[in-house]
Amino acid sequence: MQELTSIFVQSIFIDNMVFAYFLGMCSYLAVSRTVKTSMGLGIAVIFVLGITVPVNYLINEYLLGPGSLAWLGPDFVDVNLNFLSFIVFIAVIASMVQLVEMFIEKFSPALYNSLGIFLPLIAVNCAILGGSLFMQEREYQSIAEATSFGLGSGVGWLIAIVGIAAIREKIRYSNVPAPLRGLGITFIITGLMGIAFMMFLGIKI
Amino acid sequence: MKGLRRFIDKIKPTFEKGGKLAMLHSTFEAIESFLFVPDKVTLKGSHIRDAVDLKRTMAIVVLATVPALLFGMWNVGYQHFLAIGMEAAFWQNFWFGFWQVLPIIIVSYVTGLGIEFAFAQARGHEVNEGFLVTGMLIPLIMPPDVPLWMVAVATAFAVIFGKEVFGGTGMNILNPALTARAFLFFAYPTSMSGDKVWIVDKPDAFTGATPLGDAMVGAIDNIPYSPIEMFMGYIPGSVGETSTLAILIGAVILLITGVASWRIMASVFAGGLFMGWIFNLVGLNAYMDIPAWEHLIMGGFAFGAVFMATDPVTATQTTRGKYIYGFLIGFFAVMVRVFNPAYPEGMMLAILFMNVFAPLIDHYVLQANIRRRRKRWEREKVNA
Repeated sequence: MQELTSIFVQSIFIDNMVFAYFLGMCSYLAVSRTVKTSMGLGIAVIFVLGITVPVNYLINEYLLGPGSLAWLGPDFVDVNLNFLSFIVFIAVIASMVQLVEMFIEKFSPALYNSLGIFLPLIAVNCAILGGSLFMQEREYQSIAEATSFGLGSGVGWLIAIVGIAAIREKIRYSNVPAPLRGLGITFIITGLMGIAFMMFLGIKI
Repeated sequence: MKGLRRFIDKIKPTFEKGGKLAMLHSTFEAIESFLFVPDKVTLKGSHIRDAVDLKRTMAIVVLATVPALLFGMWNVGYQHFLAIGMEAAFWQNFWFGFWQVLPIIIVSYVTGLGIEFAFAQARGHEVNEGFLVTGMLIPLIMPPDVPLWMVAVATAFAVIFGKEVFGGTGMNILNPALTARAFLFFAYPTSMSGDKVWIVDKPDAFTGATPLGDAMVGAIDNIPYSPIEMFMGYIPGSVGETSTLAILIGAVILLITGVASWRIMASVFAGGLFMGWIFNLVGLNAYMDIPAWEHLIMGGFAFGAVFMATDPVTATQTTRGKYIYGFLIGFFAVMVRVFNPAYPEGMMLAILFMNVFAPLIDHYVLQANIRRRRKRWEREKVNA
């Protein structure tokens, strides 16, 4: 249990998807105009990460990893389908995003409209694929660990996007130099937030 | 005085619209309002006038830093002569520190004000008094041995990327002085932390570690300073951060004049005590066992709580938000000190971290207020 908690906390703060790896930047920059929509997108990302990482964990463990097909029989011990992991992971992610999209459209049409094109784009949000690939690389020991990593990464991403959305709401009436308005100042804010997030760098749990 | 006034009145038209030097309007105006109380009055609408304007607020904060500054100058000299094993008189200590700290102050002001004036000129707005405080705080949080060019680079970074790109004074999201220090901390770590930088011209044999540096390497049981020494400030450290007593004098000035928020200050200390108390309960290693209150007098905790966390621009604006904001600063600062092997001091990054999330706290406090009032309104509508 302690192991799970530490993976969860670590993936929120120390290995934050946005500020430690700068993953998932496109929707992070584009949908962070208001706190409300970014909250919705953040929850969607938590949901997708929380499902795709454990599902991909199972796939990696029993289909793709080196020697993972051993359960089929002794002939398959040497089979290594690792080269398929990108395409399989992406397929799983895309189908999960379809599910989330239908879900949101049914239960919250307002949020569906305000997220617009960025909802289907979660499928190509690098934070999501990054989550699955980190899961493979870090060799988590159980499905519970993989789930806790997925949920933690999602929460970290949510904190990042909601934080920057609040800042952007605050500076809406600031006299930002014209060439920097919009994306330019958002990049600068992201950099400054990254400095603040370095607080957690080096903590070992 | 009168001659100066007459001179300024005489050259004023040159700088106004249509004058020969109209492009230098902002510079002229800044100098005029620095020298004299501005004579401008509002033309439209009804206003309640208050004697406390931006200029006076900033002047009070600068005044409040003076005890910490004077003590810091003396301490720089004291630590230096202690390290080389020389007895020195009070004034000798002070003069040594004075000549060490003064160039840092000058560099910080010249760089910062130069950039402010240039931006004001180019963008056609007035020069604000905001940098007066930042320019004073930057030298106070530098190690006494910092190279002057680093101060200049850091000040430039903080003023341009921390403040001017957001539109100048009052618009920044991170505290500019702390941005300067964080920039140096990550860009030139060897000049900003470790045992080498806290004492000027230190002989190699002398260990110049701060109490926090000792605590981080596990030498917590034999910190060579007693709590009363740490409270008074006879310890190595950044220029202005060592003496908790001098900082508290500044805090009293800020609180009596109402410039700083007592809610933030009190809750920062409460947060630090709370986290220290939790560590005491857990008590896994010697560092966790030190009394919670000792965290408040070591390192930059008091300085950050009094001068940095209370910065009205980057702090939360709502009353309830201020408690949350301050509490989390103290909480994270002590947590980073004890938990994070990479940094001996957590105050700087804890304040920057909460600066980032201050708008979010405000947002949710406001939403909660709106929800509560709407509920009350609906209830009364039903009753009526």
